[in-house]
Amino acid sequence: MRLRVGLLIIAMLLSLFGARLFQLQGVDSKAYASRAEAAGLVSIELPAKRGRILDRNGVPLAASIAGTMIVADPTRTTPHAEAIAKILAERLHKDYFDLLAKLTKKNDHVRFVYVARRIPSTLAANVMDELRKHEYAGVDTRSDPLRTYPAGDVAANLVGLVGVDGMGLAGLELNFDKLLAGKDGKETYEVGGGNRIPLGENSRVKPVEGKDLRLTIDRDVQWYSQRVLRAAVQSAKAKSGAAVVLDSRTGELLALADYPSFDPNKPGRASEGLLNSKALADVYEPGSVEKVLTASSLIDAGKVTPTTKIRVPGDLPVLDRNIGDWFEHGLIRLTMAGVIARSSNIGTALAATELTPEQLWSYLDKFGLGRRTGVGVPFETRGLLPPASIWSFLTRAQVAFGQGLSVNVLQLAAAVNSLANGGELVAPSLVEGRATTAKGEVVGTATTTRHRVVSSRAASQTAQMMELVTTPDVGTAPDAGIEGYRVAGKTGTAQEVGGKCKCYQDGGIAVSFAGFAPADKPRFTVYVVVKDPAEGASGGGTAGPVFRKILSYVLQKYAVPPTGTAPSTLPIKWGRHAARADR
Amino acid sequence: MSTLTNSAKAGVRARVPRFAEAAVERARLTVVPPRRSLGRTEAARMPFAVLVIAILAAGVVGLLMFNTNMQQASFKATALQARVDVLTAREQSLDLELDQLRDPQHLAVAAKRLGMVAPSQPAFVRLGDGRVLGTPTPATAGDSVRINPLPPPLPDEIKQKTVFVKARPTTPENTSRNGSKTSGSDTPATSATGTRAGDRKKANTDTGTSTTGNSNTGNSNTGNSNSAADSGATR
Repeated sequence: MRLRVGLLIIAMLLSLFGARLFQLQGVDSKAYASRAEAAGLVSIELPAKRGRILDRNGVPLAASIAGTMIVADPTRTTPHAEAIAKILAERLHKDYFDLLAKLTKKNDHVRFVYVARRIPSTLAANVMDELRKHEYAGVDTRSDPLRTYPAGDVAANLVGLVGVDGMGLAGLELNFDKLLAGKDGKETYEVGGGNRIPLGENSRVKPVEGKDLRLTIDRDVQWYSQRVLRAAVQSAKAKSGAAVVLDSRTGELLALADYPSFDPNKPGRASEGLLNSKALADVYEPGSVEKVLTASSLIDAGKVTPTTKIRVPGDLPVLDRNIGDWFEHGLIRLTMAGVIARSSNIGTALAATELTPEQLWSYLDKFGLGRRTGVGVPFETRGLLPPASIWSFLTRAQVAFGQGLSVNVLQLAAAVNSLANGGELVAPSLVEGRATTAKGEVVGTATTTRHRVVSSRAASQTAQMMELVTTPDVGTAPDAGIEGYRVAGKTGTAQEVGGKCKCYQDGGIAVSFAGFAPADKPRFTVYVVVKDPAEGASGGGTAGPVFRKILSYVLQKYAVPPTGTAPSTLPIKWGRHAARADR
Repeated sequence: MSTLTNSAKAGVRARVPRFAEAAVERARLTVVPPRRSLGRTEAARMPFAVLVIAILAAGVVGLLMFNTNMQQASFKATALQARVDVLTAREQSLDLELDQLRDPQHLAVAAKRLGMVAPSQPAFVRLGDGRVLGTPTPATAGDSVRINPLPPPLPDEIKQKTVFVKARPTTPENTSRNGSKTSGSDTPATSATGTRAGDRKKANTDTGTSTTGNSNTGNSNTGNSNSAADSGATR
């Protein structure tokens, strides 16, 4: 009897257990499982490290480091606000009173303020240690990846910057965002007491790290170009300026300076319009520098030689306008070389009549005018080379000396560089190797194309004519020459369309200088433009010295000695008064 | 006992004929020793049990130790990871510091403080035959490049109206017809003048290192005209 009662009790108990088991495992299992996960399972993003942007020597122009942001809860920091603000102000070099205002409670709703963003992790850790030591509560840290630009404004016009969300905002950071950003990974694992549970649930998707982007830019040359350019633009009270340094043989960009520019480490102070390179985004009329393209085309077509004699009248009426020269003169007798050396508009326009508009257009087209250089910088302008079919007589004359068409700075630098490169246009490049832009274009030194524009004889004869420009007492820019070197160059002073009337009168001018050295074996091509200078500026006087300084710097840095050959001695005048010293 | 058996025997014998005596004697059951009492099997049992228990115990203890060890390793991994993070962050901030020290601007400021300028004329010595290539020219203050930006222009309201005094014309060899004024724009004075606070000190150092006294006076003249124009004088 007692046995049976016992059995019954045991059976009842067991069935109770069974029912509970069924409830736990069968009915409520999911809810419990998720609660267990929430208690012990940690899921974290593994942020991919953003690739660096390097110069040609591997020096970083942009790099990512692990950064931290310091945040605070004012309702908790208020009791010790002064002490905390003091520590933070000392360590982070921030304004004490700003911090104090942030850390003091205004109402109960604000429970989150940013104290400092994008500071190095070590610094943040030190600050937190100190706060913890004093047991001040309410300050915390969060991860905040930090993009730094170690050289500040150097190449900022090209590199651009990233936004607060870590995405590219401008420049190469924007155009190669996909390449640089990589792909975030994810990791899920169980923890107990802050430690990972071995053999616990564990899954990991590795992040794909962003790739580095290597440029052909030389940081030192870029820095020097920017400083020389800034000094010149500010001295000339000009609005803006640009300078380009190209390796003559490979078309690699050693520097592309813009002024004004910005400091990507202080993005708040950068105005929107400056974030991308204005040298590539803005068009202007090149002016007299373009004459060397016309001259080399004429020589290539066999229409002139450097010694061709040209009678240059005091002015040249074309349609309803009168083309004049920058210097007053009556009828003068110049050779083709003299036309270039003295930069005569009339002489160039007269010589250019030897070519049909279609021929001239086709030469300029081959020089790359009106086509994007496609170096990988976003928002590059195409420029404007109007088709020959709509050229009037005036356009034809103007185009010959660089008005009536517009270019960006790099286009013209590349065109002049083709003369330095033996008549072969080599597409300029900014990216080392190859990389794909946001638009899917593949750019870089590996994709460089070359094509012949003019014969190498035409190129070298043009170079000889250009040498006269920097020759003292002969050319328009003796300041641009470097003693001991043969320097080929050409000045430019172009009127720009602008102002209210959209005409040349109100548009201001752009003074420029393009050239290369050594003239008989070119290594570097430098092009400088200063836009909207105050009165009295000229290509030779304002842009020429910038050209000389930058060119001397690269010649010295890359150890290019003078060739030691005899300089060009082409005559610039002919007839009775042809004595060379006569100016 | 034997007397009892004997008396029983005597009883049976009395009733059963003698001829079956041998068979009866043979059929009598005797006690055989039980199998388990054999010494051989008894001896083999003990070590086996011990072995099993030992294996079990070793397994349990091993598992326990393995688990503990793994936990310990996990603690250590967490601690090491934290250390890696700290050290990585430290390496990065040191790298950052190094990059800031290598910044060309930083170097230029330091060089300028020592009174150095970039040479204007590249020239080389060929080590093979000791020949000098190019024209070596001593660098002067005139070759210095302004490395700091000019201060932003003052708003019109607080601009000082300065009377413009015509400066002595710049050196004649620089004067070409298109660049009479501007050829001076790159003279040392200009690169050092027109500045107010920051660059003035440097301007002084520059002129201090200059070798030619004449050019200095010329420079300061242009400088005056420049700063006059900078502060809003009309020309």
